[in-house]
Formats: sequence, structure tokens, C-alpha cells
Amino acid sequence: MHLGLDDDELVACVACGLCLPHCPTFVITGRDTESPRGRIALMRAVQNEGAPVTDDLIRSMETCVQCRGCETACPSAVPFGHLMEGTRAALAGAGRITPRWQRLALRMLRHRQLLLAGSTLLALAIRLRLVPTRRLGLPARMPLRRPPLRTSGGDVWLFTGCVMDAWQRDVHLAVQRVLEAAGVGVEPTGGAAPCCGALHIHAGLEAETKAMARRVMDGLSGDDRPILVDAAGCGASLKDYGHLLGTDEARAFSARVFDVHEWLAGRLDELKSRTPVEPLDMTVAVQDPCHLRHVQRAHQAVPAVLGPFVANVVALDDDGLCCGAGGAYSVMEPELSTAIRERKTAAVARSGATVVASANPGCSLHLAAAGLDVRHPLELVDQALSASRR
Amino acid sequence: MARTLAAATRRVLGSRRRGDRSAAVPATDDTDAALVADLVEAIGADRVRADAAARYLASRDASIYKEGNAGPVCYPGSTADVVACVEVAARHGRAVSPRGAGTGLAGGAAPLGQPVVLSMTRMDRLLEIDLDNGVAWVQPGMVNLDLSRALAPHGVHYAPDPSSQAACTIGGNVANNSGGPHCLAYGVTSAHVLAVEVVMSDASVVTLGDLTAEPPGYDLRGAFVGSEGMCGIATAVAVRLTRNPPAVRTMLLSFDDVSDAAATVSAIIAAGIVPAAIEMMDQRCVTAVEDFAQAGYPRDAAAVLLVEVDGPAGGVAIAGERVADIARRNQAISARTAADDDERARLWKGRKSAFGAVANVMPDYYLHDTVVPRTRLVEVLERIYEIVDRHDLIVLNVFHAGDGNLHPILAYDSRVPGTGERVQAAGREIIEMSLDMGGALTGEHGIGVEKREYMDRMFSAVDLDQQSRLRASFDPHCRMNPGKVLPSAHSCSDIGALRASDAAGVWG
Repeated sequence: MHLGLDDDELVACVACGLCLPHCPTFVITGRDTESPRGRIALMRAVQNEGAPVTDDLIRSMETCVQCRGCETACPSAVPFGHLMEGTRAALAGAGRITPRWQRLALRMLRHRQLLLAGSTLLALAIRLRLVPTRRLGLPARMPLRRPPLRTSGGDVWLFTGCVMDAWQRDVHLAVQRVLEAAGVGVEPTGGAAPCCGALHIHAGLEAETKAMARRVMDGLSGDDRPILVDAAGCGASLKDYGHLLGTDEARAFSARVFDVHEWLAGRLDELKSRTPVEPLDMTVAVQDPCHLRHVQRAHQAVPAVLGPFVANVVALDDDGLCCGAGGAYSVMEPELSTAIRERKTAAVARSGATVVASANPGCSLHLAAAGLDVRHPLELVDQALSASRR
Repeated sequence: MARTLAAATRRVLGSRRRGDRSAAVPATDDTDAALVADLVEAIGADRVRADAAARYLASRDASIYKEGNAGPVCYPGSTADVVACVEVAARHGRAVSPRGAGTGLAGGAAPLGQPVVLSMTRMDRLLEIDLDNGVAWVQPGMVNLDLSRALAPHGVHYAPDPSSQAACTIGGNVANNSGGPHCLAYGVTSAHVLAVEVVMSDASVVTLGDLTAEPPGYDLRGAFVGSEGMCGIATAVAVRLTRNPPAVRTMLLSFDDVSDAAATVSAIIAAGIVPAAIEMMDQRCVTAVEDFAQAGYPRDAAAVLLVEVDGPAGGVAIAGERVADIARRNQAISARTAADDDERARLWKGRKSAFGAVANVMPDYYLHDTVVPRTRLVEVLERIYEIVDRHDLIVLNVFHAGDGNLHPILAYDSRVPGTGERVQAAGREIIEMSLDMGGALTGEHGIGVEKREYMDRMFSAVDLDQQSRLRASFDPHCRMNPGKVLPSAHSCSDIGALRASDAAGVWG
């Protein structure tokens, strides 16, 4: 089976093994089949040597969290994310991965009104204890009502996305307040850009993702305003449209995308000068979402932004190893996902922090399900700003 | 019971979860089915894999040797598991090959003849720290760097630091008697391993060496360290703890000419200075690693030296000045001292990612690991460049200059027809030349399968027979990692333990 992988990208791995300690699944299982180096060797065996695609080989690909921690560890800059996305696209195209129910569930993310209504129903069912939240990895409580999104100006777009808008709109509103405190007029994207397609490309649904990318680009065309993103996974996905679609238009679009912390880090003085700030008296551990640290490589902006607003910001000592959330991974691979999370919760415990700041909704839900007090970094900034105003 | 076992075995041999796809799973032959069933019974289904993908990956390490052929792969969690696996393998007349992180560069972990592979990655715990005696017991699957990190709060570390230390395991270090940049001052693995618990080929468990300074009797520990898995499987290792030096100074010296850098190395040693490390990289290597490490290595220098001195603060300052002075007298174009721990870490990150960064230049590489007399470094380097030019290849030089341990990396693209042959020919010439200069075949990477056939270039038939007899005294039936190190004419009855089968190649 030809996986459609770029030959130059595929041969770039010299199998040195420096990725191994940075792979969350290898660290748990100790098996080469669950390592980046091993997965690349299997891709080569299939594409170049004609090896058949066995169930065990598929498991090797399915167990990858797609955190891309191996990419920042790789001295030869092997583009593992592209290779894994390509492999999954080929496997999904052949009907070997991503079962029908998963495809249906993902399709729903494109339909904003349906998603919002469904989420309200789900929230109700959770209140009535009709849903085993813990077993399904769902939050113990979800909002029944969502305050409306509102436009406060035309300086920047705030990308609101799909699940995050339905489940964590409070975060968007807090982010918007922080931006406004810095004197920035914000327009939430809402229905103009329903879903970035990150979960779809992870599941190997390439054609669908491309269609969604075009939809998002159409919705946000017409000007060159910066597009700020408060979810690391969505930010990484939007920044990759240039590669995904391979057009000048898509590359220009991707160049407009910023993680909101990345964008704010350059404007901290502006923010501080408008509101005198009393830092929150708490110890906050910064959890680096993989798609901020390993893909966008913008994770250092989070402690920089938090610094003036929180008394004690601490880093974790685990080299940015994944937390195991991985978009839909926690649902698809609950056992591995939980084992990976245990290492993260241990790192948080070692840090002595009482609150964890996470800039990605998937990580935040996953860690909260383990009993941690998780907030979006800008929720903390918002809290500090509003306390100072009082 | 039997039915559960049969089901577990089926799971291990290849999952059948999605019925109709099972046709794609290759059948492992019947003998293996019985072997796998026994292994599963002995250590549990979740610790055994016999499917094609697992075996394919267990058949290779980081070398270019791709002819390995793994049988079932076991992931023991304890010494008892290892004993059980060795027993089952023996009962089935099969050999056993251990495997750490698979970062080896000579095919030492590439299994020959479809043995049972013992992947030691799950035995990765630090068992005991005894600060009073400066010893720690660790399991073999523990990653080298993880050990030093775990020791850091106590102000001590494990000194041998191979370039692959972020990934490689203590067990693999013991097997290869691994070196590393800091072994110039501190000595290689054998100087830091006091005792080893070993599962022998008859499944008995022995402890070689002990924790006293001068144990009585033959130094069996010394014979075991560096035996490349052929004398038994290490299941616990007592390592010496080294106090962290009170002061460290790391310097980056750059040169317009490779021979000036080599002359500086000799001059430093001749001046009686013993740096903790002296590493050299040539321009091509610097360029490849700088893309990744962003450590501020000068891309325009023909060669750089990374020199580290450590010890009491006063001595370090003096030694640092003397090194810089010697470098200047040997036409160094710059001498930079790392300002803080962060800068030092980035410089070392660059050096230690050199092999992995080769794909920035070419997708494949082949390297040798010869040791030459330090006084002939300049001459040897010139010869290497000449040989490589003649074969129309590219070489990246990165090596432990302080002890003359070369690592000429021949970078190439195996997709270009005929390149492999040229690489092999150039490699052979480099080895012959190094030996002619009074050098040795390997400094730290081991012989494995890759350098096996060069052994008789270095040792006489009598030497090799003695080595073979020593090995046989540990493993009379040649069941432990057979086919390695000794050239075939001297490898006792190895062949008997190898299954008559071709290399695994690709499955299907």
C-alpha cells in the first residue's frame, strides 16, 4: 500500500533514538511499536518495501497521540506530524481507521447550531445524572446557558471554534475582556468560522479538513486582521493551512494567525499601563499544550503573559511531555491516555502548585477530569485585572 | 486454563480483533507458536509480542545493519521474568538477545537467527542509593540521563555520558563499555560499574564483582562489562556515584584549519592539563548541529573544539586560562567561555545531537569508531579527508579528540545506486589506515555485527580463540546474543543456536 508520503520526509529519520524519551506512548509501554522511530520504520516498510498493513501496524499508528514532542527533540527535523497525518489519511481512505460513528461525530462539529443545541442537551443530561461523565471523559458540569458573543471593535478576530465555544465560552469571554483591557477591539468569529478541522486531520479525514479550511478562510477573508486563537490545538491547525492547502492564499491566511499569548506577550506594557495590577496570590503551574510547545513553538509566551498577574508561576519538570489528551485521543485510547496523564499529575504535584494553567481546552478538560484545578491562563489574567479594578 | 492460554497466545501472535483483517497478519511458524505459548505462560500475555510489526522493529538498532531477525519479543519486568524467558528459550533450543533502547551503532542489538528478544525497557527503576558508599543499584533499562537526573538532588551523578545519553540505557552502556565526552577524565563505563547481577545462559542468577574496592579473585565483572550481551543478561547494575564538581568551565575554541585544532588538543594534554572533556567537530558537522541546537557554534570555522575543565574553582580558572592561551598560540580564531549553565547546556546539546543531525545533510550515514594515537590526529584526519574525497563521499568529523577516538560519519543517500558500495569501501580504508597508524578498531560503540569481520585484522587467531573460550566459559552453548563480536570462524558453536532462516526483511 502506498501511503502517499513524501519520500524525502520519510527517509529523513536516521533512527538515532533521541525522540524516544519525548514520546508519551514509548515512555509508558517501552515498546518500539509505540515510538516515533518505530512508527516511521513501519511507514517505510509499508510504503517502500511493500509490507502488508496488519492490525498491529494500525495499532502502532492509532496509539500515537500526535503530540509531536518527537519533532522538537529531533536533530534532523523529521516532520513527523506530516508523516503521521499522511499515514492516517491513507488508512482512513482505505477504511482501516476512523470508524463510521467517529466520522459522524466529527461531522457534527461543522454544524454550529446543531453542536450548540446538542451541547445544551448534553449539559442537561449531565445535570440529571443520565450520563456517566467520568467513564466518557466528559466534564462533571457543563454550561446550560451561554452568554452571547459580542463584537467590541474591529482590530482583531478572536477565533471561537466548535467544542470550545459550546463548552467553554466563559474562556472566550475572559480572553476578550483581557484584550479589551489592552485597548483592542475584538470580533469573535462565531458562525463565520465554525471549526478549524484539527480533530478531522488527526483522524485522517484529509478531504473533509481541506473543505473546512476553505470554509474558515472564506469566513475570515476580506481584510488582513490578525486572527487570535486561545486554543493551542486550533491555533496549530489554522497555522498549518498553508501546508495543508499549499496555496499562496492559505499561506497568507496562516501568517495572520497568532496564539493569543504569543500576540499579547509583545503588548504587555500596554496592558499593564492601563490597569495597575495586584498579582493573584497563588502558585500556578504552567502546563504546555503540545500544540503550543512542539508545533507552534510559542509556549514561552504563556509564563511571560502570566508573570505580572500571578505571584508565583512555576514550570513543570517533565520536558513538556504530553498530558495524554490529544483531541479525541482520550476518548479513543482511554487506557494509554490515563497512564500518560498520571505522569503529568505527578509532575504537577512535584511543582507544589495549586492551580494549573492550560492554554488548550482538550488538555484542560482531560486534566480537570483527574481532579486538578485547571484554568485558561487568560482567565487568571482576567481575574487579576478585575480584582485590581475593584 | 489451556483455552485462556490459547486465546492469549493468539492475541500475542497477532490481534484478531477485526475479524476480516486477520488475513493480512503473517503466520509465525508453528514452532514459534509453542514457544510463544510458553513465554506467555511464564511472564504473561502483556509482556510478550510476536506479531510482525514488533519483530520487525526489534530486529534493528541505530546502525545501518538491517539483516537482524527477531523471534518473539519479551518485555520482562523483573529478574524472575528474565530467568523465566531464558529457561523457556533454552527449552525450545532458542537463543536470547537483549535489547536496551536500540541506539547502538554497530548492530550489537540486532538479533541473529530469530532468538527470543528481551527488551529491557520496562526494568527502568533506580533500586537503591547508598550515598555513604557512593553506590547506586539500578535496573538495566534505566535511561542514562534519567539516572543522573534522579541523582541530582544528592549532588552526585553517573559520569559516563554517551552522546545518546538522553535515550540509551545503562544495560546497553554495560554491554558496550560505553564512553562519552567526559570519559577523558573520568574513565569509561567499566570504571563506574562495581557489580552486576547477571542471568546466565543456564538461567542461574549470579552477582559478578562486589562493592569493595579490591574484590578477591578474578575480575569477572571486568570480563562481563563490554561483552555485548554474550556472557549473560544484566538485570541489576551497581554504579559508582561521582561528586558533582564544584566548578565547571566550558570553552568553545574555533579554528581556520583542522590541523590547528588537532595540534591544540595535543598541546593541552602535553601541558599536563587533564580536561574533563575535549571534543572536536569539523565545519560540516557544526553546520548540521547548529541548525537544531542554536547554540551559537561558528558556521564559518573549519573546526571547533569544545573543552571543559572542572574541579575546585581556583584550579578551573587557571586551567581555563591556560587552555585559552594554548589555543591562541595554535592560531585559534576565537575562544568563548559559556557564561552560564544554559549556554553550557546548549553547547553540549549541539555536540550530543551530532549523529542524529546527519539527515540535515544526507538521509543515511555510516560511521566508524576507531581510536588512534593522539599524536597522529592531524595525519589521520588528513588521510580521512583524502580517502573520502577519492570515493566521492561526504564526511562529517565529530570525535572525542582528547583520547583520539574518531567518529568519521560518512553521510550518503542510499537511494543513489552504487553509493553503499563506495561507503563500504571508504569505511574499510579508514579502518585499515587507523589500524596501520597503531590504532584500535573501536573506542566505545562495540563490535556488534558491523565490525566483526575486522577483528582478525586486529587480533591473531590465538587471541580470538582465547576470547572465544572466555565467552564459552560464561555461555557454553552460545545461547546469549549469538553471532556477535567474534568472526564466524571463532564463534564456537554459535551457528548451532542460530535458526536456519533468512533475515526477516519485511513481513508478508
